[in-house]
Amino acid sequence: MFEIIKPGTTFDIVGKRHVFVWGSIIAIAITFALFFTKGLNYGIDFTGGAEVQVKLPASWDTGKLRAELEAGGIKHAKIQEIALGGETGAVTERQYLVKAQGDENSLKAISQGVQDIIGKTLKAGEFEMMRVDVVGPAAGADLRKRGFLSMVYALICILLYVTLRFDARYSPGAVLALFHDTALTVGFFVITQKQFDLQILAAILALIGYSNNDTIIVFDRVRETLHLHPRLSIEQAVNKAVNETLGRTMLTSLSTFLSVFALWAFGGAVIRDFAVTLMFGIAVGTYSSVFIASSLVIFLTHYMEKKKTGAPGKPKKQYQVRPEPKFQ
Amino acid sequence: MSRDWWLKFSFLVAVCIGSALLVYPTVGKVDLEKTKLPFKQKINLGLDLQGGVYMVLGVDFNRVFRDNVDRQAAGIEQAGKDKADLGIKSVKAIREGLAADDPHLVVEFDPAQTQKISDWLKNDYSWTLRRVAESSGKIELGISSQFREKIRSDTITQSIEVVRNRIDEFGVTEPVITSQGADRLVVELPGVKDVERAKELIGRTASLEFKMLAETVMTEPQVIQMVEEVKRSQNLEFKEGDKLSAYTAKINEAVKSKIPENTEIVFGREEVMPGADPRSGRLTPYLLYRKADVTGQELQDASVGFNPDDNRPEVDFTLNPRGAVLFEKMSGENIGKSMAIVLDNIVHSVPRFQTKIPNGRVRITLGGNRSYDQVQKEANDLAIVLRAGALPAQLDFLEQRVIGPSLGADSIKKGAMASMIGTLLVFLFVLFYYRLSGAIAVVSLILNVLFVLALLVSLEATLTLPGIAGIALTVGIAVDSNVVIYERIREELRAGKRPGGAVEAGFQKAFRTILDANITNAAASIVLMVYGTGPIKGFAVTLLIGIVTTLFTAVFVCRLMFDAYLKRLEARNAATLSI
Repeated sequence: MFEIIKPGTTFDIVGKRHVFVWGSIIAIAITFALFFTKGLNYGIDFTGGAEVQVKLPASWDTGKLRAELEAGGIKHAKIQEIALGGETGAVTERQYLVKAQGDENSLKAISQGVQDIIGKTLKAGEFEMMRVDVVGPAAGADLRKRGFLSMVYALICILLYVTLRFDARYSPGAVLALFHDTALTVGFFVITQKQFDLQILAAILALIGYSNNDTIIVFDRVRETLHLHPRLSIEQAVNKAVNETLGRTMLTSLSTFLSVFALWAFGGAVIRDFAVTLMFGIAVGTYSSVFIASSLVIFLTHYMEKKKTGAPGKPKKQYQVRPEPKFQ
Repeated sequence: MSRDWWLKFSFLVAVCIGSALLVYPTVGKVDLEKTKLPFKQKINLGLDLQGGVYMVLGVDFNRVFRDNVDRQAAGIEQAGKDKADLGIKSVKAIREGLAADDPHLVVEFDPAQTQKISDWLKNDYSWTLRRVAESSGKIELGISSQFREKIRSDTITQSIEVVRNRIDEFGVTEPVITSQGADRLVVELPGVKDVERAKELIGRTASLEFKMLAETVMTEPQVIQMVEEVKRSQNLEFKEGDKLSAYTAKINEAVKSKIPENTEIVFGREEVMPGADPRSGRLTPYLLYRKADVTGQELQDASVGFNPDDNRPEVDFTLNPRGAVLFEKMSGENIGKSMAIVLDNIVHSVPRFQTKIPNGRVRITLGGNRSYDQVQKEANDLAIVLRAGALPAQLDFLEQRVIGPSLGADSIKKGAMASMIGTLLVFLFVLFYYRLSGAIAVVSLILNVLFVLALLVSLEATLTLPGIAGIALTVGIAVDSNVVIYERIREELRAGKRPGGAVEAGFQKAFRTILDANITNAAASIVLMVYGTGPIKGFAVTLLIGIVTTLFTAVFVCRLMFDAYLKRLEARNAATLSI
């Protein structure tokens, strides 16, 4: 059998856990700071606005497009070239995203205006309106509210489920790990300033559901180890469990990563950012399951020991373990 | 192989054949009309893959509530006239100082009849009205909350009907019109490219009203002068891009003291030169009586005809019997006076009654200065809109997205290609790492994708671009289940179990973990499905379907194949599992 991690290898993950936990805390703090200062580059789904995706001949570079639009009266639009990728040979055409904001009336005028201005200079076959999106500002604010609410609901559902399946030592760990993943993924978007729209939010929700898998795999094994070897300290048990599942954790993440990687590389511009979100999220999710969730379990175990005995818990204490539910 | 196994295997084969039949019309080049296949459905493609128009419309209930209160006020007033013993002195609808969605009406009556009024109101109006305030001889009423709910849901249902009727006439294949939340409509028009026309068609309230000009109150020149004065003194010029309805309301507010209460100012547009935007025509104010003697409700039919005098297209209305009677009365009482034909709160034309009109037929000639084609088109659209009925409430365009067809085709191509490559990568990886067991996994993954597509077709769910990504993601997640099981089997083998026992133990112990993982995936996907719209919803649905099929293939199908494999090993007396 080919093994990615030889059975019996033991990395001292638990011993170095403070490094990982503090590293993550700092990363999350940075994310929060940047989120409230620089902010996300929200797409029009969340801010409202007009967005036109247009295909133009290669001779029209960003400067020319902007000049034409300004001459036609559209002055404050953001223009972004869409990197098509995967094109071979000479570039025969470019695609641009023209974004503008305003109230409802001016948005419609703008989206129509872009078409008219370009239509005046180019003939019908030379350009194409790939996509025109107009989102009223009220609708945008509404979508943003619903979007963030949905993230909160998903986290709550998972918290409830993990609490049912495991006991109180584990569920906060799982949820904090998920929160950690979500925060860092959002941070990725704050730092790269890639456009954050509904699609990305959907990817994050998918991640919330998915990255819990790894965490549950680890927790399952921790519980089983504690059950089979009750004399081990929680640190030893967790370390053993994490090491035993390391191979499995890495493999599952790798396999999902492969399919998403193909989406990123070959899926085209529309799906590319969506795929990047998933890729980053899978990587972070794996890291958090192995290094963060496990550390939290240890921390909570000590914490609850302290509360029970009222004295600093000794690591080698006997621990009452809930038997694994029978599933026959 | 045991009989049990054969039963399960036949079940699996049946499911596979069924799925293949469901999926074939989409992937094969099948002519749906002529085929003899049992399932004649292609997969539903989302708007982002087909190209088309997606709109979210907000329903403005305020006006609906206002109209309703006006109607109830009129009803109470009429009852007051019929039943003099109630002692009703006056009935007025009021909006001053109240929330926009909560107009009230005030009934003034003889205080001596307080009890009678109270009983009568309870009898006839307790379901629709609620008491807001009472004093001697005066009672203020508002719309009751349960009636308000009914109005809301009726308005939405009716709006959907009307929009659907209009779109049917537009000739769109498979439009989707649904409500979203309490006050929104979602309209999806696949394949439509002319957004502006679609919006015109859908957004027009198409309220048709025939109102008399209040010529005895003020002559037209006096009206124009009054409005000009007000415009100057209060700086109310109409700007390009303003909503005419808002502007009209402002002007009416400004001239309130100068005109009698039962009249209002409504604007009409002047004709423009050919080629110019019709909306740039000058606005002419008219003083009309508020009461509409005949409305679109009395319209029986509208069609495009040709004016015999100059051969230009015009719209001919036919009123229903009740409308014909009303119209005859209206025309007979007002010979020599002018009537305004008001469409969507804009005065369209102002014909004068020369004689009584008995047969309920009316003609609107459309503007003279535009090209024949333009006029023809406008006549057609107007007829469509009138035939389909007026919208019960005004619709605001909150969101609109137009996807060009080539973007759609491009997305399908790239998305499908990327998904296939991703799936292939996963296959290679799994084969390499788990050898023959990997091959088993590959087969189950292929069946997984087949089942997902089959379920999408049979549930008539929509496949969107994120949905295609969702299928790729499902494959990645499905492999997780396989990995969990296989790693467990490897552990059991290492612990010394024989292949049969190891496989058994592996599947058993891993099952709970797989179930947990898929349940949490499902939870997030359900939240996504509830809160998502359009392409996102398609993604969530695809993920959910993928979770169901994954559970089926990873547990049932894989197990079946492993059992066969184990039997083979037994037969050959081999002891090592290729895993």
